[in-house]
Amino acid sequence: MDEEAEMAPATTIVEAVNLKKTYMLGKVPVNALDRVNLKVESGDFLAVLGPSGSGKSTLLNLIGALDKPTEGKLLIEGVDVSTLNDDQLADLRRRIGFVFQFFNLIPRFTARENVELSMAIAGFGKAERRKHAEDLLETVGLRERMNHRPTELSGGEQQRVAIARALSNNPKFLLMDEPTGNIDSKAAGEIIGLIKRLNEEKAVTIIMVTHDQRLAGQAKRIVQMLDGLIVQEVVN
Amino acid sequence: MKAQDVLSYSFSAIKLRKLRAGLTTLGVVIGIAAIVALLSITQGLQAAITDQLKTGFATDTLIVSAGGGFGGFGAGAQGGAGATNSGFKLLVNYTQMINNLTNVETSMAIIQRVGRIEFNQTVQNVTIVGVDFAEYASIYSSTFVAENGTIPTNPENEMIVVGKRVSAPWNNDTLFCSVNDTVEMSWTNATTIPPINETYPGKVTAVLKEIGGFGIIGPSDSDVYIPISQAQSFFGTEECNSIIVKLANDDQATIDNATQAIKAAFSNEVSVTSATAVLSILSNVFSVIQLFLGGIAAISLLVAGIGIMNIMIVSLMERTREIGILKALGMKGQTVLLIFLCESVIIGLIGGAIGIGSGWVLANVVALVFRGGGGVFGGNRTANTGGMTITPLLTPTVTILALVFGVGVSAIFALYPAWRASKLKPVEALRYE
Repeated sequence: MDEEAEMAPATTIVEAVNLKKTYMLGKVPVNALDRVNLKVESGDFLAVLGPSGSGKSTLLNLIGALDKPTEGKLLIEGVDVSTLNDDQLADLRRRIGFVFQFFNLIPRFTARENVELSMAIAGFGKAERRKHAEDLLETVGLRERMNHRPTELSGGEQQRVAIARALSNNPKFLLMDEPTGNIDSKAAGEIIGLIKRLNEEKAVTIIMVTHDQRLAGQAKRIVQMLDGLIVQEVVN
Repeated sequence: MKAQDVLSYSFSAIKLRKLRAGLTTLGVVIGIAAIVALLSITQGLQAAITDQLKTGFATDTLIVSAGGGFGGFGAGAQGGAGATNSGFKLLVNYTQMINNLTNVETSMAIIQRVGRIEFNQTVQNVTIVGVDFAEYASIYSSTFVAENGTIPTNPENEMIVVGKRVSAPWNNDTLFCSVNDTVEMSWTNATTIPPINETYPGKVTAVLKEIGGFGIIGPSDSDVYIPISQAQSFFGTEECNSIIVKLANDDQATIDNATQAIKAAFSNEVSVTSATAVLSILSNVFSVIQLFLGGIAAISLLVAGIGIMNIMIVSLMERTREIGILKALGMKGQTVLLIFLCESVIIGLIGGAIGIGSGWVLANVVALVFRGGGGVFGGNRTANTGGMTITPLLTPTVTILALVFGVGVSAIFALYPAWRASKLKPVEALRYE
């Protein structure tokens, strides 16, 4: 499968065309994104850097189909997200793997149940989900901890559960919002290794917002944002 | 998302807030229990009364009494003197006129007065009823039956027949009187000034077997029967309280035609009540009572519904972030709606089921208290109602209705919070702290 992915011609998965998002701050319009153009191809590993308020999270929300742009287009595999209705957006989100800074696991569910949840939402049967969830937890190295609830897991472990969950529905790409932003540096190192391995060995496309220079250093491309604009792009 | 996954997700959310869910459920339990208890007692009461009325009930009979217009309940057997404003009097010999009408098989007059019967220095207040023994026995062939002695077909004036409770008023082996005893019959004639006590010695020739009913229609356990001719002379009147008409059959058409014919024969000066009409009036009365009681109970369920709405809104606030996660994972708005509704319906179902059970228990406890106290429907001899017991009746209709009502209220009141949850924007929900 790895070989196949390498041999397959790179296709454009995400494309932002003159993407603009304006919020009303009281009565003053604020451009969180100001005509951003960006292209992400399959197998890519993109890191978005920038200070707070530079529009990174807004960009991530738009790419994740959690929000709609004010102007411009966001295409996911060629489909304009703003033409989709709520149900179609929900369907699309099932194929996007979200990883959040604060993990966002459901506290009352065990690690395995959390991974199963996204598959349950996608309509998979119990037996199938269970097996797949166990395999994924194996991949992130948490198989022996799968029956623990989030409160019984460390930050690094919780984030690995979140990554397993993000991978569960065979996503088009992983969308990570500061994945190491809330865990200690040793655990962060493990997470960085895991993310890199997923990209290199499993050819998972990754789009990531981060402050972590160490993590950004592993990315194939780094995009620097400031005041809603992409000000610099570096290819590692 | 599969239905069973929605269900188990909802369950897991309820389990997380056991106390709160428990208290909400309690609200539903109380509402449903109140409805079930009240309705099953009322229905039990209705069944008991109907049952008693039907004891020895002759569906092919009409009761004619004086008084145009009101075909009132009980106007037949226990009505008053029968004089109306127009001065019309229902006389004993009018039976001949009625007998000549089509569809009428036979008819007989009844004269009755409140009186007393005395034996061995003990006095009982009774209703003294003058009837033609042979005719009465043929119309009420299942209830006007002797347990001891024989009912004479051509009685002598002093012969009397007593009901079971007249003979054995204390519900034990001690008898007030029995066959061949001579008792003193008396009534107070208040038409003279001063009123005088009329008396004569009556000879008990038969004791009826126990009937059970109220005796609103037909023979009763607490009446004393004397020959109609004796009643005429003893009470000094030709006027009767009512005339019982036996029809050829109990078809509705026969009943209607005969009713019209009798009314026409007496220029609408009489009221004609069919036995079935009495039952239908009774059932109407009970419908109103049930609606009223059910309505009161429904208010408590309404309060429970508001409780459900309240808890679902609180739950919505608490779980805003969770809803954001679910939406980010690709859950559709309608599935979120379903999860919230499902939580509420589970509460409604559990509450409904427990409510039906506890309502049933409550109804039985109330019935037991009634029976034990006895003051209302049983035991009181002078009331002479024949010791009725209420057995609460829980019909499948009431059970299903209660459950549907409980679940329906839960679902309706959860609709708004569930709808709000389904409309949450994922970005905002995820940002919610």
